[in-house]
Amino acid sequence: MSLLEVEDLHVWFDLPGSAGGQVHAAAGVSFALAEGERFGLVGESGCGKTTTILALMGLLPPTASLAGQVRVNGRNILSGGEESVRAHRWTDVAMVFQGAMNALNPVKRIGWQIAEPMAFHGVAHGAAARKRAGELLEMVGISAAAAERYPHEFSGGMRQRASIAMALACEPKVLLADEPTTALDVMVQAQILELLTRLSRELGLALVLVTHDLPVVAQVCDRAAVMYAGEIVETGPMDTLYHAPRHPYTRLLFAATPDLYGDEAVASIPGTPPRLDRAITGCPFRPRCDSAFEPCADEHPVLRAVGPGHEAACHLTRQLAGKRHD
Amino acid sequence: MRSADYLIKRGFFALVTVFVAITINFFLFRVLPGSAVSDLSRVPKASPQLKHALTVEFGLDKPKWQQYLIYLRQLFHGNMGISFANQQPVSHLLIADLKNTIPMVTVGTVAAIVVGMVTGILSAWRRGSAADHVSTNGAIVFYAFPTQWLGLMLLIIFAGTLPAGGMENPFLFTAEPFWPHLGDIAQHMVLPAATLLLTAYGSYTLVVRSSMLETLGEDYVLTARAKGLPDRRVVRRHAFRNAMLPMVTLVALDLGYIVGGAVLIEVIFSWPGIGLAMYDAIQQRDYPMLQGGFLILTVAVIVLNFAADLLYFRLDPRISQ
Amino acid sequence: MTLPLQDPQLATEAEGQPSTRTGFFRTVLRERKSAVVGLSIIVFFVLLSIVAPYISPYSITEQTCAVYAPPSSAHWLGCDDGGIDMLSQLMQGGRISLIVGFAATLVAMVIGGGVGLLSGYFGRATDIVLMRITDYLLVIPDLVLMIVIADVWGASLFHVIIVIGILEWTSTARIIRAQVMSLRERVYVKRTRALGAGNARIIFKHILPQVGPLLIANTVLTIAIAIYLETALAFLGLEDPTVTTWGTILEHAFERTAISSGAWWAIVPAGIVIAAVIVGCFLFGQAVEDALNPRLKVANLSVRRWRLRPLVGRGPDAL
Repeated sequence: MSLLEVEDLHVWFDLPGSAGGQVHAAAGVSFALAEGERFGLVGESGCGKTTTILALMGLLPPTASLAGQVRVNGRNILSGGEESVRAHRWTDVAMVFQGAMNALNPVKRIGWQIAEPMAFHGVAHGAAARKRAGELLEMVGISAAAAERYPHEFSGGMRQRASIAMALACEPKVLLADEPTTALDVMVQAQILELLTRLSRELGLALVLVTHDLPVVAQVCDRAAVMYAGEIVETGPMDTLYHAPRHPYTRLLFAATPDLYGDEAVASIPGTPPRLDRAITGCPFRPRCDSAFEPCADEHPVLRAVGPGHEAACHLTRQLAGKRHD
Repeated sequence: MRSADYLIKRGFFALVTVFVAITINFFLFRVLPGSAVSDLSRVPKASPQLKHALTVEFGLDKPKWQQYLIYLRQLFHGNMGISFANQQPVSHLLIADLKNTIPMVTVGTVAAIVVGMVTGILSAWRRGSAADHVSTNGAIVFYAFPTQWLGLMLLIIFAGTLPAGGMENPFLFTAEPFWPHLGDIAQHMVLPAATLLLTAYGSYTLVVRSSMLETLGEDYVLTARAKGLPDRRVVRRHAFRNAMLPMVTLVALDLGYIVGGAVLIEVIFSWPGIGLAMYDAIQQRDYPMLQGGFLILTVAVIVLNFAADLLYFRLDPRISQ
Repeated sequence: MTLPLQDPQLATEAEGQPSTRTGFFRTVLRERKSAVVGLSIIVFFVLLSIVAPYISPYSITEQTCAVYAPPSSAHWLGCDDGGIDMLSQLMQGGRISLIVGFAATLVAMVIGGGVGLLSGYFGRATDIVLMRITDYLLVIPDLVLMIVIADVWGASLFHVIIVIGILEWTSTARIIRAQVMSLRERVYVKRTRALGAGNARIIFKHILPQVGPLLIANTVLTIAIAIYLETALAFLGLEDPTVTTWGTILEHAFERTAISSGAWWAIVPAGIVIAAVIVGCFLFGQAVEDALNPRLKVANLSVRRWRLRPLVGRGPDAL
């Protein structure tokens, strides 16, 4: 049985003003995670990846509506709304936020912030909690004495490590990381990613890594899903996505990554993602796709298997598989 | 910025501001106007010896720049001249008055801060609700009413049930035991302090509300929520402390308003404090008292501002490291 | 932490800010009720002040009723201790109060605008000196200083206007300075300089027009403060007692024992109209300021919750 199962997750946000209306920020997102598995969620800004992982922990604002299921060890943790998901936060699923610049409380010491959830969830209290906080800091490569410091005394990389230590305080089974290395310099990025990989291996921690940065996801993850306009358009093993993508967006996305050693010009994808406050007819990627053909304008593509553990939502896949037109 | 740097910088600023206030005072009272105002020795009904003594003491026959230096020296010794109204030393009179003003203003201000914080947090927490609108608009309306009008209204409503003026009942024996005496003063303090509360709390409500809303949008609040902590704990342990920091700054900035309000309140309720003393000084053309009052009030505000800087420094670790 | 779709307006294409100033104000009025309420109140009182001498029912210099006569059908708001109709006093007094408010604000705007312009445009030493002066003035309690200046100078309406004006310019100076500094760095200003345009031309043609809405908000808020201060100075006897303003109405009521005579009508309405104008100014000014500094902050914590929806149909286009 999978550790984490997301089934048909939808998130809508109310639009402000008296006109009303909603933005369909995440549509039908589904994936599953096994213990120790590292899964990437990739896409441009605004594609719904951050919305998705916030939804996994129910961390949405009051303007949000949600549908679908998020199951941890078989139990849907969202069924009772905010109150019910609270018990699962940090103990089952924990999160590392982007830019630990502001994700840590500036007026509280690091050690206190790490120990706080332990006491609340009954994992450890008082001196034991403090000791454990020190151990967690050591585990992420910071000296235990740093627990007495304030966040602003740390560098960006150290803050991110401290955030990771904090996330592990209640021994969660799943760690969600939202752009954990953006705004860090390349050397530090590599260290953080290596840390996450190591923790995942040593602790059996399942990892969902959200990023727009493809080399990051390539380094860490076994599998990934590519999101566009709130939907997953392709998912599969990392190697397959890189070498044999079946969705034009995935292909263009990987091609747009600058090659450190090559002389090729950086290819960018022209155009912008679609508005999400109205229903989209046909394929959402069509306006920017280089391979669009007739069905793309009217039929919305659904995810279908194109290989072992590999799915893509594109009409082209039907063409190639036996030239059948449904 | 290292801690010593910050404190020194703010302390120096306070000192310079005091100096600026003293200079403005000298300029306004001794340089600009005619001798009716600037001549400190023109104490009505004073003996020639007194007049002569004052002339020597303040160098009133010397050029202005020398008078300025003498003025500074005299201030350093706490000498602010003689009151025109009753020939007592100005500093003694004003210190006594200040002792009456401080408790009343403190009670009123503290009450305003507490009420402002409670209503501000409530408004922010229930943003957009009816409670929020009532609270916010109420704050605006009370802040808009002139302080003297609020005092008069309280007088109209409560005259009869609460004392209408003064600080204590003059008919009580002076040998009255301590607690009933204190109770008497407290009774007299209710209306003036309540007026200060009503006039001052509004700005605190608005600032706390705005600051709280800002804090509730910060990332670390989401982190705290993500840890599974219940809302009340998140607000108490994470949001509150950060949201209240601007309060310290605001209370300091608002002191000028509080002091102005205190003057009006003391006039209405005949509270024998430094505000009433200044009012009497205006009526009686008692210029030394007026000068002295301005200086003491201004220095008090400057000192309190510096104290607020110290408090902020203590509360925000980002500055003290 | 970016969650672009948390602000749905970013997900939809931006409409684009209206480039004209009138467009901006129309948008503010359309979107914020408080701005409409505030502006209506201000307009109402301004119009009232203009027509006051023509529509006030009685003279304010001649006795037309009994001393402290209570409200009646002839005198809706009763009379004061001199037998003068209160309603007429409020109308015409309001006229003077508003004029004082506007005039004092004008003085403050001119000083503040000048200081801000010089400070922002020339920077460096000029800026440091001017901002230091501003800091000192901010700490020194303004009403107390005004009392002192007004008393030494003499009680008159003109003096009150000037005294308020010379102590209330600091907020304007700060705003203008900030805008000037940010605009100075804009490319088109640099280009204009390169073309040889003098400083004055740059200031008046390029920088001032951009500051409009923020300046208007600040002006309105300063008017509120000026009206408030006028009532305080009048109450302390620092204004010409023969002139009728809302401030002197309250002062007369206090001095002439209106309370012990039970003449609440000499007190209550005055405070209400003062508060009304100040609230109106505050609502409008605040609404404009908020519109200019939108803080689109998500509620990361709120008493209201996100909602669960049962799914109707399946697939990504199920809405």
